[in-house]
Amino acid sequence: MRLTVERGGGIAGFVTTTTIRSDALPPEDEHELSERVSAAGLLTMPGPSAPSVRQPDELLYAISVEAEGQARTLRFSEANLPEEVRRLIAWVDSRPEREDRIEPPGGAPPGGAA
Amino acid sequence: MRLADRDPAPKSGPSPPCCFIAPPDLLARVAEEGDPEEQKAAIRTLAASASIRTQRSLVTRLMRELDVDVRTLALIDAPAGERQTVYDVENQGRSALPGERRRGHGDPAVDDPAVNEAYDGTAETYDFYREVYERDSVDGQGMELISSVHYSVDFDNAFWNGAQMVYGDGSERLFQKGAFTRALDVIAHELTHGVTNFTAGLVYSVQPGALNESFSDVFGSLVKQRHLGHTADEADWLIGEGTLVPRLGRALRSLKEPGTAFSGDRQPGHMRDYVELPDDADPRNDNGGVHINSGIPNRAFQLAASAIGGNAWEKAGRIWFATLTDRLGQNSDFEEAAATTVSVAGELFGQGGSEQQAVEGAWKEVGVLS
Repeated sequence: MRLTVERGGGIAGFVTTTTIRSDALPPEDEHELSERVSAAGLLTMPGPSAPSVRQPDELLYAISVEAEGQARTLRFSEANLPEEVRRLIAWVDSRPEREDRIEPPGGAPPGGAA
Repeated sequence: MRLADRDPAPKSGPSPPCCFIAPPDLLARVAEEGDPEEQKAAIRTLAASASIRTQRSLVTRLMRELDVDVRTLALIDAPAGERQTVYDVENQGRSALPGERRRGHGDPAVDDPAVNEAYDGTAETYDFYREVYERDSVDGQGMELISSVHYSVDFDNAFWNGAQMVYGDGSERLFQKGAFTRALDVIAHELTHGVTNFTAGLVYSVQPGALNESFSDVFGSLVKQRHLGHTADEADWLIGEGTLVPRLGRALRSLKEPGTAFSGDRQPGHMRDYVELPDDADPRNDNGGVHINSGIPNRAFQLAASAIGGNAWEKAGRIWFATLTDRLGQNSDFEEAAATTVSVAGELFGQGGSEQQAVEGAWKEVGVLS
């Protein structure tokens, strides 16, 4: 399983992409990722969702789950991010096995320098 | 807790319509299903209750979930002596807002720097608007300013959520720990989103969104300039200096030299470099580039203020303030903002005067006017 958390907008517009793979985790923690993804409802909740009103400088989220050849992306704003998903993100952020990429507002420009 | 419990403090304005005793869920249903007048009355009653007011999260959530115009809050009397309050949301998320009350208006400093910094920065911004432009709080009617610090875990953002300020702690991956409350211009930027919310109401999308961002940067910078006693020439014109981790860059934006604040800064300073991005829910597209194209009106303000000279908040700032609060609407674009500031400069400081010429010249230099 691979989980990708993309965060954009915010006060500066930076795009942070955080990825974690179950096969990068120690064996005893491998199932924890899928259990946490299930607990957050990412595999079952209807989507994609999007906010009706944008508030200034709120973060926008795109959460992608890839597992067993299937992929699913759900989008949220700070205003409708479920608390269970927030807890999942905090857990991913706490794992040393995660990979982070930070890009400027709008993502990396053509040519790539970021 | 009874909804009929009322704040015993004397009120300066007329009393709100007499409230009725009803459980919050009934009021919520009325707010959702009633006709417009019933909705307004239900929301006023919910919000006017002293006991409910401390549970502002409920009011905020209701207003947002029901898409109620946040300006409805302006109908509510501000309790006397409660200009601002700082809360600690203790690393929890949205549903826990505002959190535990830590410092009310006039209270002494506490042992949490984030609380004190949010308090001081809010006070400084409040005083700026009141003393310079005679505006009483973000709504112009003395609305109590609520701030919550320690939002979520290592959260890399600070924002105005439509009813209050929210500050994260920073993760040290993108933002430095404690950076948001340390930066007076960031606090003033966010509170200015509140002012915009109650006035022009610029939608947070493409050009109106970039203008919304630009007005927040302009007044964010002006609050800092006035605090430091800097003239337009002395000011650094940076927003959020020292908030990013050092390897990413020195500041979030430069009004004077858009595109130079950090490595990879794509802000344009001229219309020929305007960045077209779609306004979708994709986090990469920043609501249609609102933090990118704001560089163009930002530079126009800086050029106008420098050409006029002196303290930027006195003349250029007054022109931009009147434009934002009295003239623009929710779908105003760059051209309308430019033409309006030129008109307002003439009305305030004389038709054909040096101020008006400076404003017109600035918008021409960034390619918005020809």
